[in-house]
Amino acid sequence: MAGLWSGGIDRRSFLKAGAFGGLTAAGATSLAACGSGGSAGSGGGADTLKMLLFGDQKAADTLQKSLATAVTKLDKKVTIEVTGVTGTDWNDFFAKVLTQLASGNAPDIVSVATEGLQLMASKGVAAPLDDYVKRDMSQLKDYFSDVHPSLVEAMMFQGSLFELPTDFNAGNMFYSTDLYKKAGIAEPTGDWTLDQFQSNATAISKLGSDINAFDWVVRLWGSWTSFMYANNANLLEESKYDGGDWLWSTAYAGNSAAQGRGGGWKWGTPTANSAGTVEALEYMVELKKAALSPSPDVGGGQTLQGLFQSGRIGMAIGGGFWAGGLHNAGMADGSFNVQLFPKWKSQRHLFGTGGYAIFDSSKKKDLAWEVLKLLAAPESFDILFPGNVTTPARKSLMTAERYATTGPANWSVFYGTLTDHPDTAPIPAPPYYNAMATALNQRTTEAFSGGDAKTALDGLQADLEKAAGAS
Amino acid sequence: MTVFTGLPILASFGLSFFSWDVISDPQFVGADNYVRMAGDAAVLSSFRVTILMAISVVVLQLALGLGLAVLVNQRRSDVARTFFRTAFYLPLLASTAAVSIFMGYMFDYKFGLINYYLQLVGLSSVPWLTSGFGAFVTIVLVAVWQQVGFTFVLFVAALMSVPKEILEAASIDGAKPWATLIRIKVPLISPTILFAGVVAFINAMQLFDQPYIMTKGGPGTATTTTTIVMYQSAFQNLQFGYGSAISIILLLMILAVTGLQFLAARKWVFYQ
Repeated sequence: MAGLWSGGIDRRSFLKAGAFGGLTAAGATSLAACGSGGSAGSGGGADTLKMLLFGDQKAADTLQKSLATAVTKLDKKVTIEVTGVTGTDWNDFFAKVLTQLASGNAPDIVSVATEGLQLMASKGVAAPLDDYVKRDMSQLKDYFSDVHPSLVEAMMFQGSLFELPTDFNAGNMFYSTDLYKKAGIAEPTGDWTLDQFQSNATAISKLGSDINAFDWVVRLWGSWTSFMYANNANLLEESKYDGGDWLWSTAYAGNSAAQGRGGGWKWGTPTANSAGTVEALEYMVELKKAALSPSPDVGGGQTLQGLFQSGRIGMAIGGGFWAGGLHNAGMADGSFNVQLFPKWKSQRHLFGTGGYAIFDSSKKKDLAWEVLKLLAAPESFDILFPGNVTTPARKSLMTAERYATTGPANWSVFYGTLTDHPDTAPIPAPPYYNAMATALNQRTTEAFSGGDAKTALDGLQADLEKAAGAS
Repeated sequence: MTVFTGLPILASFGLSFFSWDVISDPQFVGADNYVRMAGDAAVLSSFRVTILMAISVVVLQLALGLGLAVLVNQRRSDVARTFFRTAFYLPLLASTAAVSIFMGYMFDYKFGLINYYLQLVGLSSVPWLTSGFGAFVTIVLVAVWQQVGFTFVLFVAALMSVPKEILEAASIDGAKPWATLIRIKVPLISPTILFAGVVAFINAMQLFDQPYIMTKGGPGTATTTTTIVMYQSAFQNLQFGYGSAISIILLLMILAVTGLQFLAARKWVFYQ
């Protein structure tokens, strides 16, 4: 017991020492189960490769079925078990993954998006893939030649690569072609400006009080943060980690889009109350005051898609996942389209990307790496994400045929955002991302209920400084 | 009880003296989490919100529950009484999460049914969930709507057990219905009022689903209850020790207020 009170104790011993940590009965029960099970590490049964998928169990079962033969071929003794974890957004999913981790039930492979990458990498939860990538570079040449380097760079931390991105979503602008027609305005072109956006919104708002010219939800991806990026501002100071040459000089040799890439994004001092950031949020508050946009809800955006589908929203920020989302909601192809985000001080877009990481505690890392390569293969994409519910990281999968049934007609802007706008960058996602997202939600709603963006962002600045200090 | 209630409380108490992010090894930090909490504006604000919300919910729930119970009790038909008992109790059986999602749509500023009807009668839309006061009131109303059935059923049973001869004696003495309620019935059912009040307060101090689903604790921190801060600290910010410390203080607050309720009850609760 002396060790317990002397400062640090081993995590596994801590878990075993009587199921400490139960905030609730359920929490305590899972911890107790961990303690009695004797193994807090990953891997579960000796012959099971465990994977957590961001999705429902049906999708997980499909994936498990499609991977089962390949995994058994790689190792006869091993079977793969894919568990679906649902969530309203990546924050929600990630909180559930961490709960599993808390219960000592870590998987071997887990879906991780931009939001969670730096936390998992900085805490040593995710294993770097550098050695595997170097070893299998000849096999991966095709993959890297097909995936934009900005997506790969977003999966790096302190010079190491942690994931092979499988999908991404950039914050573009979806619009209702029906409402555009009714308002008698021309559809936007790729070089449209914020003034044109506002003028279009004004025209749409005249169609009726039950229509929102522009609508959005409070979150880090594709929220008022898209306006902030277009205003050349951010919540945190941007720089890049050193390193990464090992990858850029081999996998992307001769690729001009890889020039100037580093070892991953380094998120520095909070800049939430900088002039550009305040100006972006003030612009949104003014949109609301001008009745061009409502007070936003906090959440994952499902309600937004429903309202868009029912013809009550003129424009909304969406990525490739909106194509499948709107189609599945019953929206006819041709009744909506997509364009690049309008230009303000720049036309910089934000994006988030996703992939799969290997848990550092996994005892089957070699096998997990082989599965990661399978997941990054072109034929895996539609098994992982059926029905255009996200955008493929592989450019070769971006075809007219893919969007023939769902739309939108201007689908090429999804990848064009990366290839034609080199300043496009990932959402700010430091290791303290979750605390940042919570603070952003609170301070944004505060700005809209009080009408004072500056005060709210001063508060956000203080919150972020505190979160950065605590991480 | 020991495994599912006692152990988690003990575990949380132990964990509250550690700094633990689930991923790294836990570090013993003594009372640091409690000291930090005393200066944490977010936690202090959540205590304020929680207490105000709990008081509002309990007062409304008891008043409405008693009022409905009295009205239903006056019905002579057993069928009518059974119908109302079932109708008022049903919301309690619904999933709080489902109710909260549904209510979120109902109270939506632009597309909600409530504002639609307000506009139909010539009133302007109310920012139910997007203004601080509106969100607070809406959460309280939804919580009361869902919980009032429990209080109501307790009060109906209690009122039915009031001896008829006492009510007849009061009636012969010329007591009016209001006087009979306040001077005869309420004192006789005071043990039930105490029980309903204690249970309602304990539930109200732990409100989570409604504010988390309907407003995510906003706008700002207007509906951020202590359980939300606890969840955010532990499961989102990975500060399990700090989250546990908050839960322990919340537990102590509930125990303290419950104790006060029992102390005060000595002066107004009458056991036959």
